[in-house]
Amino acid sequence: MAASNSSKLFRVGRSILGGLSNNAFGASRTASELTHMDFLSQQQRTFIQMRTNLKVVDNSGAKRVMCIQALKGRKGARLGDVIVASVKEAHVGGKVKKGDVHYAVVVRAAMQRGRCDGSEVKFDDNAVVLINKQGEPIGTRVFGPVPHELRKKKHLKILSLAEHIA
Amino acid sequence: MRLEKCWFCSSTIYPGHGIQFVRNDAKIFRFCRSKCHKNFKMKRNPRKVKWTKAYRRLHGKDMTQDATFEFERKRNRPERYDRNVTENTLKAIKKIDKVRVDREARHHAKRMKGKKAQLQREAAKELEQSIHMVKAPAALQQEPSLTLPKLKVKVSQQQTEDNRMEE
Repeated sequence: MAASNSSKLFRVGRSILGGLSNNAFGASRTASELTHMDFLSQQQRTFIQMRTNLKVVDNSGAKRVMCIQALKGRKGARLGDVIVASVKEAHVGGKVKKGDVHYAVVVRAAMQRGRCDGSEVKFDDNAVVLINKQGEPIGTRVFGPVPHELRKKKHLKILSLAEHIA
Repeated sequence: MRLEKCWFCSSTIYPGHGIQFVRNDAKIFRFCRSKCHKNFKMKRNPRKVKWTKAYRRLHGKDMTQDATFEFERKRNRPERYDRNVTENTLKAIKKIDKVRVDREARHHAKRMKGKKAQLQREAAKELEQSIHMVKAPAALQQEPSLTLPKLKVKVSQQQTEDNRMEE
């Protein structure tokens, strides 16, 4: 991955420098910008699998969890699927502690997911909401947008707590 | 079913087409095809990309202000279903669309006409003011280099041969 990026950087930089040889400073700046966003957004997004780090977007007390098992799908979990997650970072005094193992619903995924009408939806980051064994959320608030597909997956509580539904 | 507009090129997105990206502040970016999505990922500004509606509007290529655009606007007020209203709306769509197409054609014709008149004005002005371009007939006779040389072209008797072939 790094090698391919660096080669792309070289090519882009060279082409721009070739075009604007008289303005070396400006050209180098645009080249660096191009490669920066190339690295951020053109990366191939994949499934949520074992060892994927995810943001926790509720007030259960956990900050970051790691996926240790996807409960559905051979390749891994996608938007709306349930995973088993281990808490890696947590706020002090929260309901969950570092090292706890919980179920969690993927409420945002950077990998696109097909919708029922055939279009696709994707999000900015990978985020989860922790749930207990009965499927009820551990926290009492949900931050950021969540997809309406959670209704189909019977996570109505998360939908009603959410700020925005996309 | 709602027909959305593409964030990048402003074309209509029919159900089942395209991809939508939801940013963390819950702003939804809808794209009609991967071309528009890729251009967005490259952080291109649609106002600077020539094939988008935004560019064309900004640079006066397309009509910007028209009453027909009001009908197309997104309204967030729910409308109670009424069969007659629906029927009338469906009839009106065709008429409004025709009006819009006609106005666009007129706008285009007007836009294309402006340049021609300007060129003609400039040419007339040049002809009037640039007397140095004109040569007196006497000067042309004295200086043969100012006129184009006359070419002598041989006319062969092809026609008679053709007639003979036909006979």
